[in-house]
Amino acid sequence: MKSQILTALLAAFSVIPASARPIKDRTDQAVLKKAAYQVDKYVAEIFRRKKLTVPKVVDDSTFLRRSFLVAAGRIPTLEEAASFLEIEDPSKREMLVDYLLKSDGYRSHMQNYVFDLLRAKDGGRNETNSYAPPYLRFIQESVGKNTPWDEFAHQLVAAKGIAWDEGNGAVGYYIRDKGMPLDNLAITMQIFTGERLECAQCHDSPTNKWERMDFFELAAFTHGQREINDGVWNKARQSYGDEDFRRSEIGRLFYWLRDNIHYGTIADQGAGRIKLPSDYQYKDGDPGEMIGGRTHFGKKIRSSDRRDSGKSRVEFANWMTSQNPNFDYVAVNRMWERVMGNPLTEPVDTYVKPEKTASPALVNYLMRLMVDLDYDLKAFQNVLFLTKTFQFAANPKAFEVGVPQAFNGRQLERMSAEQIWDSLVTLVAEHPDKLAKRKFSNHIYYNNKPVLVGEMTMSQLAQEVVAIKDPAKYREYAENLLQKIKSGSTSSSASKDMMMMASRSRPGPAKGIARASELAAPAPAGHFLREFGQSDRELIASSTKEANVAQVLEIMNGHVEKMVVSNRGASVYDALKKGTTEADKVRYIYYAVLSRPPSDQEMNMLMRDVIDGSTESYQNLVAALMQTHEFMFVQ
Amino acid sequence: MDLHKFHQADELGRRQFMINAARSYLGVSLAPMLGASLAGNSFGQQHTGGAKAEHVIFLNMGGGMSHLDTFDTKPKNDDVQGPVESINTSGDFQISQYLPETAKIGNHLCVINSMTSRQGAHSQGQYLLHRSYSPRGTIVHPALGAWVVRQKGRKNTTLPGFVTANTSPAVSSPGFFGAEFGGVPLGRPDEGLKNSSRPGSVSEEDFKRRLAIADALNKTFEENYKTPAVKAYDSLYEEAVKLMQSKDLQAFDINREPGKVQEAYGKNRFGQGCLLARRLVETGVRFVEVSHGGWDTHYDNFTNVENRAKTLDQAFSALVNDLETRGLLKSTLVVIATEFGRTPRIVAEHSNGRDHHPACFSAVMAGGGIAGGQKYGESDKNGARVAKDPVTIQDFNATIGYALGIDHAQVVSSPSGRPFRLGGAEADLGKPIQSIFG
Repeated sequence: MKSQILTALLAAFSVIPASARPIKDRTDQAVLKKAAYQVDKYVAEIFRRKKLTVPKVVDDSTFLRRSFLVAAGRIPTLEEAASFLEIEDPSKREMLVDYLLKSDGYRSHMQNYVFDLLRAKDGGRNETNSYAPPYLRFIQESVGKNTPWDEFAHQLVAAKGIAWDEGNGAVGYYIRDKGMPLDNLAITMQIFTGERLECAQCHDSPTNKWERMDFFELAAFTHGQREINDGVWNKARQSYGDEDFRRSEIGRLFYWLRDNIHYGTIADQGAGRIKLPSDYQYKDGDPGEMIGGRTHFGKKIRSSDRRDSGKSRVEFANWMTSQNPNFDYVAVNRMWERVMGNPLTEPVDTYVKPEKTASPALVNYLMRLMVDLDYDLKAFQNVLFLTKTFQFAANPKAFEVGVPQAFNGRQLERMSAEQIWDSLVTLVAEHPDKLAKRKFSNHIYYNNKPVLVGEMTMSQLAQEVVAIKDPAKYREYAENLLQKIKSGSTSSSASKDMMMMASRSRPGPAKGIARASELAAPAPAGHFLREFGQSDRELIASSTKEANVAQVLEIMNGHVEKMVVSNRGASVYDALKKGTTEADKVRYIYYAVLSRPPSDQEMNMLMRDVIDGSTESYQNLVAALMQTHEFMFVQ
Repeated sequence: MDLHKFHQADELGRRQFMINAARSYLGVSLAPMLGASLAGNSFGQQHTGGAKAEHVIFLNMGGGMSHLDTFDTKPKNDDVQGPVESINTSGDFQISQYLPETAKIGNHLCVINSMTSRQGAHSQGQYLLHRSYSPRGTIVHPALGAWVVRQKGRKNTTLPGFVTANTSPAVSSPGFFGAEFGGVPLGRPDEGLKNSSRPGSVSEEDFKRRLAIADALNKTFEENYKTPAVKAYDSLYEEAVKLMQSKDLQAFDINREPGKVQEAYGKNRFGQGCLLARRLVETGVRFVEVSHGGWDTHYDNFTNVENRAKTLDQAFSALVNDLETRGLLKSTLVVIATEFGRTPRIVAEHSNGRDHHPACFSAVMAGGGIAGGQKYGESDKNGARVAKDPVTIQDFNATIGYALGIDHAQVVSSPSGRPFRLGGAEADLGKPIQSIFG
């Protein structure tokens, strides 16, 4: 029986395709294990120095649940839990890590993280969100193919062109913050270099080293985010002159083109110079003075204050991502926090010189490892997952022992909103990684209908529209387009089948039972995810794990009850089919909900007071287990 | 079905098990702190003018509301004003044409045009506005609503003391005070407090049984992990059960209001949130925050401010009028607050946008003992700097405390022994603006 499960588990591992980027040997387990051993040596050294004992390693069931939640963002299914718990194999922990990192759950969980970091939003009814589908798709695909972090950051920061162009969604990084390029720069610096410059946007910072001049010298690199041919639309629109224009058929198309095409474009890659603001108050510059770009850490680069560069954002992106200790440190610190629960130093997005950390040797090693692994975040996390440090038991008295929390066993923490939701989904669906995904369509949607299907995509339309330089020609093009759309929607052309296939409104996020990463970003107000603290995607990584009454009501009376407990088709009830005796059924319910077998004491109590063989008694057990702290918290 | 074992069960043990559960959850004994004030003394009586308010409705204009285009217009200065006209109000001041209904209730308002802050970033600015402190890596400061519930105690002991609508939980958390003082977040005002009744699929007996089983199964875990986060959930289960049994639960249901009233507030999230706020304070909730975001008008400021203001104007004026009609305005302080204002400079290349401007901005107070029809503080001719009577965020929050009779300077220590005050850190401790009270 057990060997059968082992075979099944091994088979499950082998059907998953190898990583899409088999460059060098970043998937070679032996190499990664060696690195993990090295990390453990440095961590052990911290304990030795403090004359403290290294924490114990967690048992199999804690390891199972922790690994699933941290690597794949959900609890294991009943089958996954049973397979892991019921085989005896000295290398099963390593096998599990490999299984999880190759699963789509890893992509999904990581995608939530990147969405939070970048404040990526689908956009609501009242927002200009036309750039969002290609931007979110870009992020999703980048995480899916495990694009190296430096390359990903470079693509965002150096982006130019049309968001709807195939593969060019990165432009959305700037469009997301249209009209607030200075805030966007402050955000870039915080996310990728761990420097907080938002204060210096307006004045010399009282809390850190940054001066207002420094801020503008950096802003010079990213300045200049005009739309492609931005004056043409306006002139063409003015040629109509009519006040009611906006309500006319052609007027509506004009404004649609502005919001859906022009809005999502950036003409070049940075002016490299910027004017100091009119309220510039320090002696080192005059209000309105043109200044060039200059960096203040990492490599020293400059841009001219005399002429527009046209590619200063490329130079800035190069500077940011190559041989920049800030970039490396923040990437390392983020991944350490993700896997170990606490960052090496707090806050996670603030650069600290390695020599100022608790273990300079470890930090230097990790930074080198990040570079050696070519910023492959999955491989880097893989190393951390293979360490003993990851397996340390949570230390309830962490504060008292004098070793930074980062190395002291994972601290008990509530699941994130996404982890809870995805765990609920796991208790409902048999294959939580194979549910509906976000959809993307390059069709043109006009008035909530797909138009010109089979004739033209958004990308082709956008290229044609922004290429027009003459207002008269623009006007002519728009009027032709309107005719084409109108005749296309009534004719019985060959595209009719495709029209039928295309859904009425633009495909996008999934609905209902799907992983959190596939639902609207963020989930609508009042959704389960928001009640449990999902970020509203206004501020960087602003999700919370704080408790509130609405959550408890959701557990007792809301989704937990309706989606899982009273849903007799939910996969958690496979436990009742799988188990033959009452004790077996209870044990499998424990596997499915808490990823462990019940203790003898628990089993006795349940058999005495709870389980009477009725479906209701098992439902009560499932409901009660989901109300426990053990379900809610990651150990 | 195998009922055999059920009947064999130790009946005494079973009964004891259920009794224990009833005691811990079903309202037989509840933590005394939930009902009573922890401050204990009647501080408010020491001051004249303040201490008249029992409730606060905090209207949070997220994103940085343009002061020049709302409450601090500069009719003689077209350079900074752009196309916005000023209109007279029933108070002793003018406001923007975007707020015609608010102009009619000017006699109830105190407009503060000398707000000033040093936080020009949203996250830090909102944090400061809600907590009187700047964010620190080592502590989460309690939000204003949590302070009010802690210092004043609950008025209605079966309902939460602090409720938020449309608000990011990140700005309204109880910090080190713990979950029982935190805001209960309502995703959508028209949905009220979701899941507040037992679903039809669960019998009352099963409902209790589930709580009892979970309670029993939690014991080992709780012994291993005595952390505040775990304790928070324990206290919230008690709270939730109590709430489910409250006879005042219908306060959350705005669908009980006549259609006309719903329409008067505006059929949108903010308007309905304001209506909900009125129902909640009427039933004894201490502090209700309703957020109205989208004020970050870097791009196309005038179109966007006009849209935002329209919603604000209708809801705010309906709220003040409604409270007044019901005799609740005296005991309810309504404030409009924002993290910062916006630049006098109009950025043409961003379709006439305005950028962040913390040096000078506006806020409004009404009711709760505030003398209406007045303006407090002044900005310079461009609305760029404070010209008279500066009001810091700490001053503003201290004033809210003063209105409620809460000592803004009273120290409450965190579990690690660090001292904190409603009015902010000692170095920049706020001073209540006592002169605006009637």
